[in-house]
Amino acid sequence: MTKGLTTHLFKILFCLGALAFSLGCSSDSKKQIPKAIKVSSKKRISNSKLSEKEWLSEYNFFKKPLSDLQPKKGVFAYDLNNALFTDYAFKKRFIFLPDGKKMTYQNEGVLDFEIGSILIKNFYYPKDFNKPMDEIKIIETRLLIKEVDGWKPLNYVWNESQSDAKLNYVGGEVPVSWKNENQVHKSISYGIPNLNECKNCHFKGSEITPIGPTVAQLNKKYSAIKSAQNQLERFQNLGILDLPDSHPSLPKLPIWDDPKTGSIKLRANAYLDANCAHCHREQGSAKNSGLYLTYNETNMRRRGVFKPPVAAGKGSGNLEYSIVPGNPEESILIYRMKNNDPAIRMPEIGRVSAHKEGIALIEQYIRSLADH
Amino acid sequence: MPEYNPERTYLNMEEAILEAFILAKDSSTIQLPEGHYLFSQELSINGKKHLTIKGMGMDKTVLSFKGQTKGAQGLLVSNSQNITLANMTIEDATGDNLKITDCDTVVLRNIRSAWTGKASTENGAYGIYPVLSNNVLIENCVAIGASDAGIYVGQSDQVIIRNNKAFYNVAGIESENSKDVEIYNNEVYENTSGLLIFNLPKLTRYGSKIKAYKNTIYNNNTPNFGVKGSIVSSVPKGTGVVIMATQDVAFYDNTIKNHKTSNLSVVSYEIFAADEDAREEELTDEAQLQGIRSVDSDFRKDSLYNPYPGRIQISQNQFENSYGFPTLTNEYGILMLLKNKRIIPDVVYDGILPKGAKLQDDQHKICLEDNGEINFVYMDAANEFENFSNDLEPFNCKLKMNMTRQ
Repeated sequence: MTKGLTTHLFKILFCLGALAFSLGCSSDSKKQIPKAIKVSSKKRISNSKLSEKEWLSEYNFFKKPLSDLQPKKGVFAYDLNNALFTDYAFKKRFIFLPDGKKMTYQNEGVLDFEIGSILIKNFYYPKDFNKPMDEIKIIETRLLIKEVDGWKPLNYVWNESQSDAKLNYVGGEVPVSWKNENQVHKSISYGIPNLNECKNCHFKGSEITPIGPTVAQLNKKYSAIKSAQNQLERFQNLGILDLPDSHPSLPKLPIWDDPKTGSIKLRANAYLDANCAHCHREQGSAKNSGLYLTYNETNMRRRGVFKPPVAAGKGSGNLEYSIVPGNPEESILIYRMKNNDPAIRMPEIGRVSAHKEGIALIEQYIRSLADH
Repeated sequence: MPEYNPERTYLNMEEAILEAFILAKDSSTIQLPEGHYLFSQELSINGKKHLTIKGMGMDKTVLSFKGQTKGAQGLLVSNSQNITLANMTIEDATGDNLKITDCDTVVLRNIRSAWTGKASTENGAYGIYPVLSNNVLIENCVAIGASDAGIYVGQSDQVIIRNNKAFYNVAGIESENSKDVEIYNNEVYENTSGLLIFNLPKLTRYGSKIKAYKNTIYNNNTPNFGVKGSIVSSVPKGTGVVIMATQDVAFYDNTIKNHKTSNLSVVSYEIFAADEDAREEELTDEAQLQGIRSVDSDFRKDSLYNPYPGRIQISQNQFENSYGFPTLTNEYGILMLLKNKRIIPDVVYDGILPKGAKLQDDQHKICLEDNGEINFVYMDAANEFENFSNDLEPFNCKLKMNMTRQ
């Protein structure tokens, strides 16, 4: 048809038409958010029946006042070598084990937990980061509950008076402000994930799993415990974990911001593992990207070096590769870590601001890759 | 451009409704109250069985996604079985208003899917969009303003589309790569093109066995506002019905009238592949991820794909045209001006066949019967229109149709 005599004429007519059309129809009105009056439902919308505890206090994890987060018997504090960055939020983590139950050692991946075990993660902000114990505001407490048919995520959002936290499925936004270590005032609109978003990070294959409590992540001294004993040894002494006999050589991740614990490369790998690899792994939700960032991934192409994007859309920022050795500015990895646009930023959920210090480490790492 | 401007007073009950969607259990009902509800994010259902989501009526319960900041769809239902959605309006999603994917047994009833304001390229792609699904019924629905197709069924089997209305879309109703589809009693008007029965290459499955009857299709002359690069962006305005690269189609008892390019066209994929404006490279990544189709010039490499229409029976339809001069905004109109005495054809057949094939071959037959006085055009597009003809006689035949449901 295009070979026909009329094609040329057609193109001219069409282009004129398209021009007139594009002038006449372009409008920004689609982007504007109209006003809406807040209302509540008088009747129940869904007839799905719920059986979850409505308040965090019902679990009996903590002594009173609840907001001190002092664990009761059967609730064990723990910490990780490398935490996921969540807009500078502080976190206090606990494991609840049913009476007489233990965790089971796994050399790789998370420890095994028995049914009834609960992982508890509290997100909070001290008013002044230099006084982390004074005047804190707890935002949310996320639970992962091991049930007969797998892990179930639930989230509890703290009330204004900090007396308790209420079950929340839909997420939301909370204004938070603090003074950082350099006494700079910061404020953000903190995003609480909805239940589907919880699943997004915790899905491995078709199952929900914990991410944090692996041996390599737990293998450290927990500062809040006076004896400064290694966490794994402490768990063994408490009779809730049996370590293999060879435990001096247990796997251990370097700490991303502690140069004493490893080279730039290893610390970068540890940072990327904690912040990206829950999706960027085999069976993770970002497996289609072809970018794999688990600590033990050694293939540099799979780690992003000269790897073109697959389905990044505008997330690529018109850059060609995930990592260009020696050139962080040309690396999609850095572009997406720096960006706060929901369609571009990485990780895509769990932050609204960029992690300056983490970005600095990864930039240093990308520059160092040119030396080889 | 046509406009749709309903009066809206938006209410915000996002948390309660979102919670109902997140917590929906198998064999439950979500009953949405009366009101115009505004949402900042997509509402989705995944992996559910026997779930009903209903409003109080399409004029009473309106779910608006105008200015949404999270997710692309309005409502998204995936990997679910026995799902009924009814009695509501879904409006102004960034991407598709209502998408159903990888589902079995789906009823969509009394749903209006619309983009408000002027028909615009900025509107979302698909209004009512079941894809990769089986056993789908779409009835008493209304689709308005989609920048691709209003009611669009893709890569699905066992589909009924009946008693619906579609207007102000680029394509009113489209059946794409779907099998055992019945399309009847629909009213389709003021789109760019009314009804598309398409089969495209390199998809998970191919379409055939389509019955379209008792539809009223008229005045589909709206300028094309499809996204650049999309396949519908290359469909000329003023085309009532286009049957493309599909086999086993029974098209009967329809009324098709007042189109500026042609009332009914039967064409091969080659005629689209020759259009340089609908190329994949023209589409943005977002559009491709959304499932918007472009022309694939590599289609010959797909050995399972048949790019030529065949076994098409066109019977007892009523064709009319109040327009006396073809539109000159597309090459078909210009061709008719030059070759068809300025008459807008009722039925056009491009006549492109695979090498060595003949018009009389059973698998390529196009039959017209009892359609009254019509202007018929055999384009002979493969040979620079050399044997362009109005002679209906070689096509006056009756096929024994090979349908699963009679």
